[in-house]
Amino acid sequence: MKGEKGFGVQRAMELLVAIGTVYEAERLIPISSAHLSGVSYKTIGEGGVDFLTNIASDSKVVVKTTLNPAGMDLVRWGEMKISKRFAERQLEIIDCYSRLGVETNCTCTPYLAGNLPREDDTVAWAESSALSYINSIVGARTNREGGPGALAASILGKTPAYGLHLDENRKPTVVIDAEIDGGLFDHTLLGQVVGKKVANAVPYFRNIRPNPDEAKTLAAAMAASGSVAMFHVEGMTPEANDADLRGLERIGVERRDLIDARETLSTGREPDLIAVGCPHLSEAEIRDLASILKCKSKKTDIDVWFCTSKATRKRCPKEIDVLERFGKVLCDTCMVVAPIEDHYSCSATNSAKACNYLPTLCSQKVVCASAADLMKMVT
Amino acid sequence: MILRGRGIFRGIARGPIVALDSPFSFLGGVDPSTGLLSDSKDVSIAGKVLAFPVGKGSTVGSYTMLEMKRQGTLPAAILNKKAEPIVTTGAVMCGIPLVDSIDVSVLRSWDVAMVDGTEGTVEVEGVEKKSVVTCILMKRDRFLILKRSEKVGTFRGKWAGVSGYVEVGEEPIQTALKEMCEEVRVTDAELVRQADPIVVRSGEIVWEIHPFLFKVKEDGITTDWEHTGHRWIVPDELPGFDTVPGFDRVVEMLLSRKIVSTGTR
Repeated sequence: MKGEKGFGVQRAMELLVAIGTVYEAERLIPISSAHLSGVSYKTIGEGGVDFLTNIASDSKVVVKTTLNPAGMDLVRWGEMKISKRFAERQLEIIDCYSRLGVETNCTCTPYLAGNLPREDDTVAWAESSALSYINSIVGARTNREGGPGALAASILGKTPAYGLHLDENRKPTVVIDAEIDGGLFDHTLLGQVVGKKVANAVPYFRNIRPNPDEAKTLAAAMAASGSVAMFHVEGMTPEANDADLRGLERIGVERRDLIDARETLSTGREPDLIAVGCPHLSEAEIRDLASILKCKSKKTDIDVWFCTSKATRKRCPKEIDVLERFGKVLCDTCMVVAPIEDHYSCSATNSAKACNYLPTLCSQKVVCASAADLMKMVT
Repeated sequence: MILRGRGIFRGIARGPIVALDSPFSFLGGVDPSTGLLSDSKDVSIAGKVLAFPVGKGSTVGSYTMLEMKRQGTLPAAILNKKAEPIVTTGAVMCGIPLVDSIDVSVLRSWDVAMVDGTEGTVEVEGVEKKSVVTCILMKRDRFLILKRSEKVGTFRGKWAGVSGYVEVGEEPIQTALKEMCEEVRVTDAELVRQADPIVVRSGEIVWEIHPFLFKVKEDGITTDWEHTGHRWIVPDELPGFDTVPGFDRVVEMLLSRKIVSTGTR
């Protein structure tokens, strides 16, 4: 590690060795993809820009690597009232990642936008919701990486073998018996309740059968209210069939718990921004929203954001036209990582994950409601 | 005193210590433009050796450290009881030494330390480490405590177990047997348990205490000049006695039960 291969490779190796030492990993194992957080200028600041500039000066990623949302829509940032200075620095960050060879579609749902691992693939992903989704629903293997750790792995094509790369750490440690009606909003609240209760355990869900969008929001909420990076859903998670539940603690979640969670998350009343798409909206969600809004017209001047990925937006142009009558369909960003505190003070959303972060990262009061109820506020 | 831990990231740095006793997050825990702590606003960590048990909070903390580096407010080195990825990542990205497996509770702010992140060592200047044994002698449900006389070198008048310095070249168990013979004339005690050593800071001395639990048969014991009295007590009586530093922890470890302290130490 004398730096013959350049600053980037040297720092990347040092970082993986240090993290490997912390976790007593015995070796580095090859990865097939990486997904990076640490994209928004709001989060990483000038210190982050300096670091990326140095790394990008002499290194390249060696596996497929995608990016988390940035602090603005990379094209429509003017409409978001983003300052010119912020936009310049944000575009500089994207440029650094581009020079590193990273794909610069910025989304927290890369698995819906061309970066979908296969079952048993070893990967290094940051973005807590996405990594939990691919561990739990896809059956790929990743730890809960930070942005720089995932970047180091993408430059070396390797990651230290510890934690969720090892069979023994992927087994369920607590059983969840949930009584919910179903639907996206119930699943986000369920995730909120369970994440709070189990912290970083590996929960095993019985008697729920989430569709992909419900699983996505369940994963996101548990990773925000707790730090769950892996869960099992009976009959769905590839490894759930082999799970041994004997002797595990059981936690019941009832309707009342979901209502309590929603009340605790709701700290505001009169939103000046309504934002959906945390995690980024899928095609199915966009179609659902369009069918709610199709025959209606907007009756307030509250700003509405629909956050999604470029890939998803491209797939449903007609529905996007409907949504655009009510607000902005933004790509490459979301309400949590954009500097919304410059213009808004109370945000309404259907995502428990966003409700957890909006008060601290964006100084917002929060209204927590289902997507259908949010749309009623504007129609 | 030299403490040995794990070198997580390389480099050598020397500076005054800022010691925190609870988990710390760089995001929110410090003002990157000044290096001042949010909790105690007159304390700067810029250029210091920052010691805290474990990192916590958002992964953005790694970037806060980069910002501190840019602004020249970064600590010179970091010491942890247990390193975690956020601080580790920040230390590597910023290029400052990080050593973990260090019992940071024995460090005090304004101690001066030389940190070697490659070797995993921390030399704390002007602080001396002394290795001692403490033996708890158990008779049925009671154990023996001894009141230290005015003639001993340290902790006069305080209550303790059978104890003594581990001499150079001596194994702690040999010290324990020797001290039991000298201090209370017990020669046929049966070793029940030996716990990992604990460390306790008192002034400029760090005591490394090796705890031993013995079972004894004798009813009467004879004390020597080092003690002026003795009692056989049940664990719940312990908080009523003014004991030497760390004694309650030794008893807790050996008897596997929590002693509720009344605050007199």
